[in-house]
Amino acid sequence: MQDKTIIQVEHLEKKYGDTEVLKEIDGTVKSGQVICVIGPSGAGKSTFLRCLNLLERPTSGQVLFEGTDLVSLKESAVMNLRERMGMVFQNFNLFPNMTVLENLKLAPVRVKHLSDGEAVKKAQELLDRVGLGEKADAYPASLSGGQQQRVAIARALAMDPEVMLFDEPTSALDPEMVGEVLQVMQELANEGMTMVVVTHEMGFAKEVADEVWFMADGYIQERNEPNAFFADPQTQRAQDFISKIIGA
Amino acid sequence: MRVKGLFNKIAQSVLIAAVTLLFLGGLATTGHAADDSLKTVEDKGTLVVATSPDYPPYEFQATVHGKSKVIGMDMDVMKKVAKDLGVKLEIKSMNFDSLLVAIQTGKADVAVGGINPTAERRQSVDFSDIYYLGGQSFLINKTDAGKYKNRSDLKGLKIGAQTGTLQYNLAKQKIPGAQVKGMDKSTDLVLALKTHKIDALGIETPSAEAYVKNDKSLAMINSGYKLDKNEVGAAIAAKKGSDALINAMNKSVATINKDNLTDQYLADAGKYMKVNTQNTTMWHYSNYFVTGVEYTLLISAVSVVIGVLLGTLLALMRFSKNKLLHGLAVAYIEFVRGTPLMVQVMFVYFGIGIIVNIPALLSGIIAVSLNSGAYVAEIIRSGIDSVAKGQTEAASSLGLSKGDTMRFVILPQAIRNIWPALGNEFISLIKESSIVSIIGVTDLIYQTNIVRADTYRGVMPIFITMLIYFVITFLLTRVLNHYEGKMKHAR
Repeated sequence: MQDKTIIQVEHLEKKYGDTEVLKEIDGTVKSGQVICVIGPSGAGKSTFLRCLNLLERPTSGQVLFEGTDLVSLKESAVMNLRERMGMVFQNFNLFPNMTVLENLKLAPVRVKHLSDGEAVKKAQELLDRVGLGEKADAYPASLSGGQQQRVAIARALAMDPEVMLFDEPTSALDPEMVGEVLQVMQELANEGMTMVVVTHEMGFAKEVADEVWFMADGYIQERNEPNAFFADPQTQRAQDFISKIIGA
Repeated sequence: MRVKGLFNKIAQSVLIAAVTLLFLGGLATTGHAADDSLKTVEDKGTLVVATSPDYPPYEFQATVHGKSKVIGMDMDVMKKVAKDLGVKLEIKSMNFDSLLVAIQTGKADVAVGGINPTAERRQSVDFSDIYYLGGQSFLINKTDAGKYKNRSDLKGLKIGAQTGTLQYNLAKQKIPGAQVKGMDKSTDLVLALKTHKIDALGIETPSAEAYVKNDKSLAMINSGYKLDKNEVGAAIAAKKGSDALINAMNKSVATINKDNLTDQYLADAGKYMKVNTQNTTMWHYSNYFVTGVEYTLLISAVSVVIGVLLGTLLALMRFSKNKLLHGLAVAYIEFVRGTPLMVQVMFVYFGIGIIVNIPALLSGIIAVSLNSGAYVAEIIRSGIDSVAKGQTEAASSLGLSKGDTMRFVILPQAIRNIWPALGNEFISLIKESSIVSIIGVTDLIYQTNIVRADTYRGVMPIFITMLIYFVITFLLTRVLNHYEGKMKHAR
C-alpha cells in the first residue's frame, strides 16, 4: 500500500518578483501517507501546498502527480487532474449562494457528469460521515465554523480524490470547534486517505502523521517520523520552533 | 419662428459630422447625381413629410373621427401639395430639432413646421416658396393689458422667446434694456408668462391668436416690427439638390398664395383647436397617457433585458485574457459612457438609418439598450470583483471549468452584491428612455408634450406624467426589493 507514489516534487521554486518563497524543494508523497507540514509563519508552507495542485504556478521545478508533470501542462489540462486532488481551505470557501447539498453536488454533476440522483445519494452519505446529515438543506451562513469546515471536507471528498490537501484547516476556527474538524480528519487518515496537511496543531501531527516536514525560510529543513522529530529535532531552526511551542 | 436650442445644435453638429463620415466612408457614390427627387416620390407614390405636431395652429394633434391625427395649417398645405403631385401623404412625427436632419438623411422627403427659410438653413437644405407670412406679436397677461399697449411699453422688462429664434434676436435688438429669457418650447414660455417669470412673450401672430382664443388670462399686442419676408415666412424644406421636387411643389404653393387658401386652413385648424380645448381635463386625454406609458414600458422592458445580456457579455469580455476581446469591451464601454444618450439615439435613427432604414421605435430601443449595456457591464464587473478570490480557488480545486465557475459560483454572488446598483440602473433607464421622444417615439414624454400643446395647459400634464413615472419606478423598486430580500434569505 505504501509504495505507490502519488505526488513527487522536484527542485520546486517559487518567486514573487525578487522574493524567493520556495527554494529547491523536493519531496515524495506515497499512497496512504499522511504528511504534516509545520513551521513558523512565513515559511512558505501554504505556498508549497498550493503549488501541489497548481493554484500557484511554480517558477521552476516539477510537480509530478501520478507520474505526470503538472507544471508542463496547460491550464486546461491541469484542470482535469486538479479534481483528483481535494483541497480544504483555511476559510472554508463554501459557496454561500448554495445549500450544503448543492455545494456537494455541483462538481460531481458538472465535472464527473453524475446524475442528480447519484450525486444526492453520495452527498448524503458524505454528510452523514462528517456528522452533518441533517444540514443538507441549510445555507453555509447558518452553520458554525466547525460545521462549515466539515462540509468543505465532504465537498472535496465528493470528487473521490486520490489525495487531500489541507491548508491550515483549523486556523480560522474558534478553539472549541477545532476538535470536531480534527476528528473528521483523523477518521479520514485511518481509512487510508493520502493527506498533506499544513497545520499548527502539533498534537494532530504527532498522533496522525506518518511524516512531519518542517519548513522554514522556504526550505524543508527537516523531515522525520513525528515522535523522533518532536523528541529530537536535528536542526537549530526546528529546535527553536519546538522550544517556542512548548514554552507557550 | 422655431429654431433649435444651443445644446441641440451642438448635438446635431456632432451627428451631422458623424453622418458625413458615414457618407464618405461607405456611400461615396451618391455625389452630385442627377436630380431624381420628384421621380423618386412619384415612383413610390407617397410624399413623406416630417413635422413636429406641438405647434398649433401650424400642426398639432386632434381626435378626428375617434382617431388621433396630425392636423393644422401646414398639414393642409401638404395635403394640397400631395394631391397636386398625385401621391399619398405620409406624416412622420418627430422633435422639431430633428426635422432638417430627417430630410438630410432621407428619413423624410420634405419637412414642414413653420420653418423659416433663413440664409443659414438654406446652406443645408432647399426651400419651396413661402406659403404663409406670419406676423410678430407679443403675448402678455390680460391683467397687464392696461399697462402694455405697444412695443415701446416693454422697455427694460423681461421678455421671453424661444432660444435662438428670430423673436429672440428681435427682442434683443429692438427693445431697449430688455432682459431676454430663452426657453426651448413655447408651451414652457407661456407657462413662464402666466407665472410672471417674464412680462411678455415674443411669438408669431397665429400662435399668439390661438393662445388668446384658448386662454382667457392672456392678451396680445402687435409687435410693429418691420421685417423682410424671407425671415418670417414659412416654407417647405427638402433635401439639397431636389429642384425638381421643389419646382413641382411651388406650383401648389403659388395656388395657395393666389387663392389665399391659408385663411381657410387656419379657420379649419381653429375648429379642431376648439374641439381640443372643449374638454381639457386630463381624464379626457387619458388615452394619450396610456399610449405613452405603453411605449415607455415597452422600450424600458426590452432595453433592460438586452442591456443585461449585453452588459454581462461585455463584463466577461473585459475579464478575458484575449487582448482583442478585452480591448473591444473597454473601448465600447468608454465610448458609450462618454457620449450623450441623446446623440446616440439620433445617431442610430439618422446615422445608421442611411444604410439600413430602422423605424423610430426600434432605433430608440436599440440606442437605449446599447447604452444601458455599457453601464450594466461596469456594474457587473464591480460585482465580479466583489466576490472573494477564495471562491474561484475552491471551484477550481474541484475541477470546475471557468465557465461553470462563472455561471454557478461567481455570477450568482455578484448579482446579489450588485442588485441595488442594478436596480438604480433599471430605474434610471426607465426615466432616461424619455429621450427617444426626440425622434418621434410616442413615449410618455412625447405624449405629455402633445397634451400640453393641445390643451394649452402647461402644468397639469407635467404633474400627471411625474406621478406616472413615480408610480412605475415605485412599483419596480418594490419588486426589486422583494427579490433582494429573497437573495438575502439564501445566505
